Amino acid sequence: MNQIMAIIQRELRHELRSRKAWLAIMLYTGSTVYISYLGMQNITDASTHNAVFWLLIIFISMFATSGSFAGRESEMFYIYTLVSPGRFILARLIYNGVFLLSVSLLAFVIFTFFIGFGETNLLLFLSTLLLTVWGISSLLTMSFSIASKGGGGFTLMAVLSFPLLVPLLMTAQHLSELSLAGQSSPGYGGYISVLLALDAMIAALCYLLFPYLWRD
Amino acid sequence: MIKKGILYKSWWKYLCIIFLAYTVIAGFLIPVPVKPILHETIRNLYFHVCMWFAMMFILTVSLYYSIMYLRNPKEDYDIIASQCSYVGLIFGILGLITGALWATYTWEGGTGGAGWISDPKINGAFIALLSYFAYVVLRNAMDDEQKRSRISAVYNIFAYVMMMVFIMIYPRLSNVDSMHPGNGGNPGFNSYDLDSHMRMVFYPAVIGWILLCCWITSINIRTERIKRYLHNI
Repeated sequence: MNQIMAIIQRELRHELRSRKAWLAIMLYTGSTVYISYLGMQNITDASTHNAVFWLLIIFISMFATSGSFAGRESEMFYIYTLVSPGRFILARLIYNGVFLLSVSLLAFVIFTFFIGFGETNLLLFLSTLLLTVWGISSLLTMSFSIASKGGGGFTLMAVLSFPLLVPLLMTAQHLSELSLAGQSSPGYGGYISVLLALDAMIAALCYLLFPYLWRD
Repeated sequence: MIKKGILYKSWWKYLCIIFLAYTVIAGFLIPVPVKPILHETIRNLYFHVCMWFAMMFILTVSLYYSIMYLRNPKEDYDIIASQCSYVGLIFGILGLITGALWATYTWEGGTGGAGWISDPKINGAFIALLSYFAYVVLRNAMDDEQKRSRISAVYNIFAYVMMMVFIMIYPRLSNVDSMHPGNGGNPGFNSYDLDSHMRMVFYPAVIGWILLCCWITSINIRTERIKRYLHNI
């Protein structure tokens, strides 16, 4: 546990130190949302807004995750010698999850400011966002580890992760449609449990499979 | 060079020929129940559905060998796993094509319109195919053989589990009706009201197509073994 905390702290310090990265991500988030606002001025349909929002979330997460990994290969060798792969991936999953969550909350705030969803069941929407983004971040972490071992970088990561992201996104989109309906919509329990199951499964797969990526 | 094992036996290949010949001949000749929209297109069941069965089968074999490779990194496991998923991909594409043809003549009322319809099963299948295309891309991105085998095995397991869970769970939840049988809760197969004539063709057809799939894969595996052997001399 101590080791996990240490890795998380280290990542956080690294992230805070490079203000450029933070600024880049915030700018990216703001400008993608703003561009979609410009394009959607005449569209008032809530479910279209919903679809666009999830698309933005994918691209922002990809950008944010890849940024947090870039140019770190040399340091990784140092960490390899200190901790076990299981602990390392757990720390990474937690760190990336929290990081992406804050980025996507930011995206949500900006999106509501510019575009808005209309009447929303906010609690349901936010819990959907939380569960989905958590899943996305673990999946992207794993895909990025695979892609960086494969030497392909960002393009390879996009190719590897897009198809695997779809289950999460489709469930999320259905769930948020329910929350946009504005009423206490029944039948969301099933979707929530699917999201939970997917998150747990992705985390388990990361934990089991990461050691094989680690060994070199 | 390994020259033993079931891949090098020929009895099941004869069995495959017999079953498939029976499928084609009986499939087009034996009477089928008259259904409102389907009419004679129901015979596509012997081809379309079997493609998916064969794909699932061969991808599961691929998963098994990927796990075996991670447990015990033998080159041969990697060869089998990769060739299985390539062949699975081909059968998946065939499944999509046969499905699109079928859809053209039934769901679109024979107007020859788009064969693509938003349906939970079609989406699931298409995404599964995309992830296996990504597997091919990943394998081609790496030159070092051991690294390629290990990393693609990891991705194979990851993709397979995600896809299977998705294909199993999603249609059950979807509030969009599937046009495939078994909608309204069950993505399974039991609601096909096959009559006994159709069963007589369908079961051999499934076995026949799976055997054909194995046959193609075995040829690929053997070719790949020879290639690697020549490469290592």
